[in-house]
Amino acid sequence: MSDNRLIETEGLHKVYRTGTVETPALRGVDLELHSGEFTAIAGPSGSGKSTLLHLLGGLDRPTSGETFLEGRAMSKLSKDELAKLRLTRIGFVFQAYNLIPVLTVLENTAFVLELQGVVRTERIERARKILAELGIEQYADRYPNRISGGEQQRVAVARAVVAGPSIVLADEPTANLDTGTSLELIDLMRRLNSEKGATFLFATHDSRLLDRVSRLITLEDGRITSDETR
Amino acid sequence: MKAAIRHLKRNRRRSILTLLAVLIPVYSLVVMFGLAGGNLRDMFDTATRLDTGHLQIRHAERRGMGSALPLIEDPDEIISTLDRIEGIAWRTLRLDLPAIASVGERSQAIVVQGVVPEEIDPISSMRGLILAGRYLTSKDEGVVIGEELAKLLKIDVGDEMVILGVHPETGVGALKVPILGIYSTPAAAMGRTIIQAPLDVARRLAHSIAGATAVVVRVAGVTGPWDARRIDRVVAELRAILPSDYEVLDWRRLAPQVASYMAIIKPALFIFAAVFFGLGALVVLNTVYLSVIERTRELGLIISLGASQWRVIRMILLEAGIISATGAVYGALAGVSLVWIVEAFGGLPLPAAFSSMMKAIGMNPVLHLRVSFSQVALSAAAMAGVAVIAAWYPARRASRLEPVEAMRYVG
Repeated sequence: MSDNRLIETEGLHKVYRTGTVETPALRGVDLELHSGEFTAIAGPSGSGKSTLLHLLGGLDRPTSGETFLEGRAMSKLSKDELAKLRLTRIGFVFQAYNLIPVLTVLENTAFVLELQGVVRTERIERARKILAELGIEQYADRYPNRISGGEQQRVAVARAVVAGPSIVLADEPTANLDTGTSLELIDLMRRLNSEKGATFLFATHDSRLLDRVSRLITLEDGRITSDETR
Repeated sequence: MKAAIRHLKRNRRRSILTLLAVLIPVYSLVVMFGLAGGNLRDMFDTATRLDTGHLQIRHAERRGMGSALPLIEDPDEIISTLDRIEGIAWRTLRLDLPAIASVGERSQAIVVQGVVPEEIDPISSMRGLILAGRYLTSKDEGVVIGEELAKLLKIDVGDEMVILGVHPETGVGALKVPILGIYSTPAAAMGRTIIQAPLDVARRLAHSIAGATAVVVRVAGVTGPWDARRIDRVVAELRAILPSDYEVLDWRRLAPQVASYMAIIKPALFIFAAVFFGLGALVVLNTVYLSVIERTRELGLIISLGASQWRVIRMILLEAGIISATGAVYGALAGVSLVWIVEAFGGLPLPAAFSSMMKAIGMNPVLHLRVSFSQVALSAAAMAGVAVIAAWYPARRASRLEPVEAMRYVG
């Protein structure tokens, strides 16, 4: 394994069971992701993009196969160990419902740091700094329902990167945004990737985002059909 | 903490319901404690201040017939012993003599209590119960009787009655005495059977020069049966120093109805508390559970971001704890306020129908409430604790949510 190998999967399978009905979502995915990449997983709806992202992020467990994060086998971890791994090594941006409604933008951004046990003054300082870097410091004291969808996604990105994770996993981050806002958000993440070396992995079928990634993995029916580095 | 308070404010209706689920049991329990405590104090006071004292020293010898007590021939010796003991508020002599009161063709079995009128006030509230006429002095040759006896014998202040005293040691004595006063007590049986006379009058009836049947003692610092340990200490000391000719009887022996009431009321309060705590806990469990279901997506997000199971449990329990503690404090304040208001107005008089019933069983027709700080604190703390325990199940359920499923949840 090369030094900058971040995530590696071996024969990942995921089958959803509803009663006696089995729906395979992933059918043996082998994948390597490296630090500093700006990668997208593309594919039609139902191809397994989100499922793969969830397994890579330790949000779900595979039916079979293994995921290694920085060489550590994730299937062997307990629920709390997985939570700790997510907390310290992974940042998340979801399609919707990204922010905790009773926390202000600043508190939402600092929430991961709070979970990590960072002292209040330090986490407020770090959260303010990242909000300033992302140009949304003026919303610090507002509640999520007082800012737009695009601004909410920026706050989600701020929260995802504030603790300096190994990788940010973003599931359809631009799906609910208009073109202008989407492009702004993509530029923002691209800037974090190039300036700070933040690693991003998207699950998306948004062409505006797919045009800007440096690596594009295509999934179809739960299998990787192409893996193209640009 | 801030987030927990915001969550509670966000869903005011549910928070108020949870708050009430804790407030109402605490309030009810404080009031119940108040009623039981007030009742107990009234019973204790009625028994100890009108009749028995906190303890009595009597002759140990069991002889004679009927209910006549053996005479203590030299009671002053006991008085001087008592005056050397710490913790005694007051003591006085009494001579209880079974007798028959007779007016014309009417008669009634009674007990003549020979008392030292000038010494009675620290021991008994009898002087304050005089309804008509006046209380006794040592020089009087008359008696005070209960209003029930006055009605039975159809006599009033100024009338005369004949008392026929019988004591197995001294024989029969008879006296014609005027009625100097009529008293009214919450205990109807006492009003029917007990008459008080100066000690010398009773001694004449018993043909005794210096005798008494009991030394009645009031112990310092006793406000109710909850201070029984003070009495027990004095009883133990007296038993150790008095000759074996004498027996020391405490209020439990002298007023067994108070001890019986205590024995009944304690488990009754416990059952009452358990029922109310149970109901409160069910409501808290339900509201917290609903809150967890409503916030499934939010909890899913928090878990996704890396919150541990314990962190999620702590978060839910903190919210339940804040609202429960608030409810408990308000419930306690409301209960204590009611107790305070009722007592500020001199108690709660019962309707006439209840009043005569209460009197018949020797209880005060005016309800008094009495609650101690420890009872209030314990009620509030126990209910708040029960509420937090009730929130444990939904909290644990929340902590076990699968993040992906939880975030997809549509309520």
